[in-house]
Amino acid sequence: MNLFRPSPRSTSVRLVTSIIAVGSLLAMAGCSAAAEADTAENTTITFSSYNYGTAGAAGEGTQALLDEFAELHPEITVVPEAVPVADVLTKTKTAVAADIAPDVVQLGYSKLAEALETLPLQSIEDIAGDEWDEHAEGINQALVETGEFDGTTHALPYTVSIPTVFYNADIFRAAGLDPETPPTSIDEVATAAAAITAAGKYGVYFGAVDSGKSDYLTQSVINSAGGSTVDADGKITLDSPEAIAGLQAVQDLTTEGLQPAVAIEDALAAFSAGEMGMLVMTTAVLGSVQASAEGLFELRTAAFPTFNDELARPTHSGASLVILSEDEAKQQASWELVKFMTSKEGYTMITEQIGYLPLRADLAEDPAYLADYFAENTLLLPPLEQLETLAPYLSFPGAKANQATVLFQDNAVSPIVLRDADVEATLTEVADRIRDLVGDK
Amino acid sequence: MMVLLLAWVYGPALFTAVLSFLEWNLTGAPGGFVGFDNYARLFREPEFGQAAGQTFLYAAALLPFSTVIPMFLAIMLWQRPGRASTVYRSLLFLPVMVAPVAVAVSWRFVLNPLQGLANEVIGAFGIAPMNWLGNPASALIVIVLVTSAKVTAFNMLLYSAALSTLDRRTLEAAKLERASAWETTRFVVIPQLHTTTVLLGLLSIVLAGQWVFTNVSVLTQGGPDGVTDNVYYRIYTLGFEFFETGMASAAAAVVLLFFAIASLGWLLVRRINARR
Repeated sequence: MNLFRPSPRSTSVRLVTSIIAVGSLLAMAGCSAAAEADTAENTTITFSSYNYGTAGAAGEGTQALLDEFAELHPEITVVPEAVPVADVLTKTKTAVAADIAPDVVQLGYSKLAEALETLPLQSIEDIAGDEWDEHAEGINQALVETGEFDGTTHALPYTVSIPTVFYNADIFRAAGLDPETPPTSIDEVATAAAAITAAGKYGVYFGAVDSGKSDYLTQSVINSAGGSTVDADGKITLDSPEAIAGLQAVQDLTTEGLQPAVAIEDALAAFSAGEMGMLVMTTAVLGSVQASAEGLFELRTAAFPTFNDELARPTHSGASLVILSEDEAKQQASWELVKFMTSKEGYTMITEQIGYLPLRADLAEDPAYLADYFAENTLLLPPLEQLETLAPYLSFPGAKANQATVLFQDNAVSPIVLRDADVEATLTEVADRIRDLVGDK
Repeated sequence: MMVLLLAWVYGPALFTAVLSFLEWNLTGAPGGFVGFDNYARLFREPEFGQAAGQTFLYAAALLPFSTVIPMFLAIMLWQRPGRASTVYRSLLFLPVMVAPVAVAVSWRFVLNPLQGLANEVIGAFGIAPMNWLGNPASALIVIVLVTSAKVTAFNMLLYSAALSTLDRRTLEAAKLERASAWETTRFVVIPQLHTTTVLLGLLSIVLAGQWVFTNVSVLTQGGPDGVTDNVYYRIYTLGFEFFETGMASAAAAVVLLFFAIASLGWLLVRRINARR
């Protein structure tokens, strides 16, 4: 047998192989053409969200929003990406560095300032074009302004919550307190906490030492005490007498044994188990606390307490929506997603299904949207009323804003609130370090 | 082989060294040359010095769990061969098989200071509840103990492997000399495990900071007051939380330089001892 002469069998095999190869090429060409047509009609965008994929109301509500959007916009495919809340900025930055940035990101407000300085966030206002004015009208203006950069809006409020006082009405009664008149000032909080502690339960917990390293509750305390972390000129003022007084009041709760010196998750677990009288924390946890309380204790809410004779001035936590896509078609698709999620319908779903505050003023009283919901669900009413006196969330200036916030929370707030550190000395030292870090001499 | 080493070890090390002289926040193009500024800032911030000190503490605290205890367990099981020994070995090895983050999260529930099992247990003995992870006095010890289960289990397996290669003639000789079990262990078995012990001890010193990384990340994030921090977690924080790529690279270069000098010193001492 001549190994170099093709046998009749091998010739036929070659023929079949050639036909298959040519057929495959033609099929691939066909597929390619179909894919191009598909691309022309459909746009796929990615949505990075820390609520997506989580267990409970936040994850289910986000999925419901995406399902609704898919029905309204079959021409846009949204690929959601779950990301842990503490890693949003890290993941987004590394994705940008790797040139695989998501198109839309749910970005926490404590990370927004640094993101605006260091990430290629697109102007939503510019992308929206003629639709902008009509859409932005009615959205809480303080929150819209927080997302402004270089004169245009780069972030729209999405899932926003403010700190509120959750309290256990059963524990109040057992401690001889009237649940109909919850504490309204920090002094009354301390008095109530003392009664609750005497009744054998944990008194109160101010969630200032936030696990996500956000300083929204710290700012709420300092604002309500008449101070601020940063003044109007961007100068660091977290060591002002007002800031010292505010944090001193929270520390006093710990040193007097009215507040357990534990991590926020542990306090949340204790409150949810009916072992704590009051929990001062973001309304974002309302859904999970409500679920835990069902059948166990009567859950109520009260407004964030005052720290002096002035009105309480809590600031908000939560997240905005930002667009990173540089491709025009994806930008338009991203705008459609952002527009839907921040529309009356979107905000209504976010409130009803996740428990965040409605960010259009008229929704809560509109029978077509949330009037019925708020008639039945009164727990969000106290924070909703405080939304009107909301203080804007203030970021430290510059590209190292997040680092400064972490430094503030880890080196000042945590030792002050949980470990009896000297308030004035600690704040002064950390303020100087932050001034050095952000270049505020 | 050399090409792979260049691509995966020396290349990135060189790249890191270059980055340590640049200002870069990861997302844009690397900024300008800043000389030794990143090194100066690194040594100026108190956190890095504290993290370095805590790394030594971790190394010292984990040393018994990576040498003495696994050796003791391995010898105990080796002396009592059989089905029970295999079952015990499997049970002791179990922590190595479980996902590290899952283990850490489980510990978070156990150590909950208000409702956790750990406080329930000590409460039964009349001991006041403790804030295990929130108290600077106990947090590092807890991280070490939580990490030690995996380290001990893995090193026990390595000691078991070393025990299977013992010189049988020395064991027979000990038996003929009617040496007791303790005498055999002390004068025959342990000396033959010397090389394994030195190796595991060195690995423990070098890798202790990396072994505790997951537990630190999940349970304490370096707190409270930085007592559970270490240089590796600090490098991660600088690089991927603060995006201080230059400073993170400078920290990595300092760690590399430290271990390079320590290794050279070790080799020098061994050479001098060998000449004597």
